[in-house]
Amino acid sequence: MWAYIIRRILATIPVMAIVALFVFSLLYLAPGDPAAVIAGDQATPADVERIRESLGLDRPYLVRFGAWAWDIFRGDLGTSIFTNLPVSTMIQQRIEPTLSLMVVTLILAVSIAVPMGVIAAWKQGTTIDRFVMAFAVLGFSVPVFVVGYVLAYIFALELDWLPVQGYTPFANGFFPWIENLILPAIALGGVYIALIARITRATMLEVLSQDYIRTARAKGAGQRSILFVHALKNAAVPIVTVVGIGVALLIGGAVVTESVFAIPGLGRLTVDAILRRDYPVIQGVILLFSFVYVLVNLLIDLSYTFFDPRIRY
Amino acid sequence: MKRRDLLAGAAAATLAGPALAQPAQNRVLKFVPQANLTSLDPIWTTANVTRNHGHMVYDTLYGVNADFQTAPQMASGHVLEDGGKIVVITLRDGLKFHDGEPVRAQDVVPSLTRWMRRNPMGQKLATVTDAVEVVDDKRLRFRLKRPFPLLFMALAQVSNSPAFVMPERLARTDPFTQIRETVGSGPFVFKADEFNSGSRVVYTRFADYVPVSSGAPSLTAGPKVAHFDRVEWNIITDAATSAAALQTGEIDWYEQPPPEIQQLLRRNRAIKIEAIDPLPLTGILRFNHLHPPFNEKKLRQAMLPAISQADFMAAVVGDEPQNYVATCGMFTPGTPLASDAGMSVLNGPRSIDRAKELMRAAGYTNQPMRLIGPTDILAPSAMTQVGADLVRRLGFNADIVLTDWGTTVQRRTSREPVDRGGWSMLFTAFSSFDFVNPAAHFPLRGNGNDAWFGWPTIPRLEELRDSWFEAPDLATEQRITREMQTVALDELPYIPVGAYKSLTALRTNLADRVSGLALFWGIRRS
Repeated sequence: MWAYIIRRILATIPVMAIVALFVFSLLYLAPGDPAAVIAGDQATPADVERIRESLGLDRPYLVRFGAWAWDIFRGDLGTSIFTNLPVSTMIQQRIEPTLSLMVVTLILAVSIAVPMGVIAAWKQGTTIDRFVMAFAVLGFSVPVFVVGYVLAYIFALELDWLPVQGYTPFANGFFPWIENLILPAIALGGVYIALIARITRATMLEVLSQDYIRTARAKGAGQRSILFVHALKNAAVPIVTVVGIGVALLIGGAVVTESVFAIPGLGRLTVDAILRRDYPVIQGVILLFSFVYVLVNLLIDLSYTFFDPRIRY
Repeated sequence: MKRRDLLAGAAAATLAGPALAQPAQNRVLKFVPQANLTSLDPIWTTANVTRNHGHMVYDTLYGVNADFQTAPQMASGHVLEDGGKIVVITLRDGLKFHDGEPVRAQDVVPSLTRWMRRNPMGQKLATVTDAVEVVDDKRLRFRLKRPFPLLFMALAQVSNSPAFVMPERLARTDPFTQIRETVGSGPFVFKADEFNSGSRVVYTRFADYVPVSSGAPSLTAGPKVAHFDRVEWNIITDAATSAAALQTGEIDWYEQPPPEIQQLLRRNRAIKIEAIDPLPLTGILRFNHLHPPFNEKKLRQAMLPAISQADFMAAVVGDEPQNYVATCGMFTPGTPLASDAGMSVLNGPRSIDRAKELMRAAGYTNQPMRLIGPTDILAPSAMTQVGADLVRRLGFNADIVLTDWGTTVQRRTSREPVDRGGWSMLFTAFSSFDFVNPAAHFPLRGNGNDAWFGWPTIPRLEELRDSWFEAPDLATEQRITREMQTVALDELPYIPVGAYKSLTALRTNLADRVSGLALFWGIRRS
């Protein structure tokens, strides 16, 4: 087991190296010039050129990549071209809101979607099942930003129950923290709930038709016990896999959700950095996202041994 | 009872957390700026949001009022000697930086030296200056080659890198390198520990700031009295979210709501919409003079009958004529140098057919042209859309390239011809301050390769600009600028496509806002 974990962690190094090379090359080839953005609309071409030189953007590709890769190797993500702040500091400032949003969304989504999928499978073909499936289609179809605006309009503007925008750190108290996260988490969670509910339903239908479920019924096990003890645990592997894959969905959705609800997270940081071509920040954030994704996949692989003792590494 | 109050109550009741000392709500002003504050150095970048940040934190030797009259701000006064070739400026008593150090001439001189390398008026001033030197802690001296009547106007520049005074250790930074610390002597202190670019910028009132003792606040002149203990800039990029936050009272002031949001906000009695600056911004159609087809003067002129400034402006601010000027020349409408010289080419009857005739007469034979423009900046985007429609209707062989702003500003630096990725035409807008006079009026330059993007070579414009700097009085300035406008409307370094007012939205309980730009002195909660 430990050997497997170490092997997997070591395997992230070439993955991250390829991501780094890919991200750097893509940004190098992409149009746009941070020097022109910095100089502003009133700058002369000479001003733009001077700023480009001062930022080292006139250096050849290999020189720039070499310098950046060496810094990364030493654990330095670089410095923002615009704010002059270390990229690691900027990420540190933004990680809590994004992490909070993702965790609340994850808890919300799993606690709603799994029971929904289980009940839909149990009541297959009934109105409840159709309702759950219709909800899933709706969740997939309506864009996150539309849900966000509608929620903000109803619950913030009309009813004044919750704030429209912003983020309050957890350190300022649980209620102020959660107050700012309820609407964004619901908006972001829609697709996620739909995805998990559908997979849960499909997997549960398969498991419920297995012989051992029939045996459990014959032995007089109650419905709740059959659904949540016998069936759900055996259906867990595909569900957990989808929960993990969904982290990528959450990262993508967080970019939009954070913009709609003005949450100062990593998603907003990424969009802002892309728009102004703040290369070190873009590279740093994408590396971080890649690392998180690799790590989540590792955790999911390890969780399989818990849900299915037949799996051994 | 609203549920939010209930939640707040529950939070207070259940959590016995440490009581953080917060300023009373009415001593805090919450503001949504036009853009994210990314750079903190107002000399290094000319971004308007950084300029506004600069006016919070820094001060200038001289200010300028809404009538474009200069007045001492950090200076207590000046003395002219040797027929105006020697100018000695004395600093006011009581000036302090936010780190507690006194402001000295030793700080002012390097600040001005750095500014003179970046600001166009400063660069001009540098050409007539033998030396700027420290006399003593309180006095500095300009030794000029010849009298420079616009010296105080230059030192009072409002926009495009004002002559902000910084501590000597920061002012000695190379002007093309960003300063690493924000310490000024202005009415507000920048809270570096609370700065989160893309989210929040916080300023607190500078308790030791001593406003000028007389006059009324007007633009950057007069007493800068801060009525809020704390000003928070909340960076909200989404217009609908900003509008909703303004409606619920989560923010007090939204600097630049787009027209469709303005309509929504007008329905709310707790919100007022007003022009942030009584003077309008000018939109321009810029030609690339280096390559065909618009290196041909007659083809540039051929477009004139087709330009309807009202069409362009309606696209920017909506169909409300009180919010735009459709008879806009080369200088900001409503300012002393604006005139009607040569304007018959834009104010006469508009005709697409006439423009097509002139295109044929100019020898246009379907050469390719490329219009570049952004999709993510309101005014340039709207003007580009109208321009794209116009060039298609005129029958140009047009390639319309719409990208984000970051790509547009890179692409416009290309001096290549169209077939190698260059451009032929673009639209953008300049603030009222930029076009008030020829000093910072980049698109009106005709200095070829050193000119603003488009690179027109029009020697007469340069001669007139040089003579304007020497103009002894307003009448002479007006005579020169009338001629500049006549030359420009013949040579067409660009075509003005109208001027529009930038509207701002704020809660009705805010009063006494100082007009011009987002300034935070004077304004108070009523």
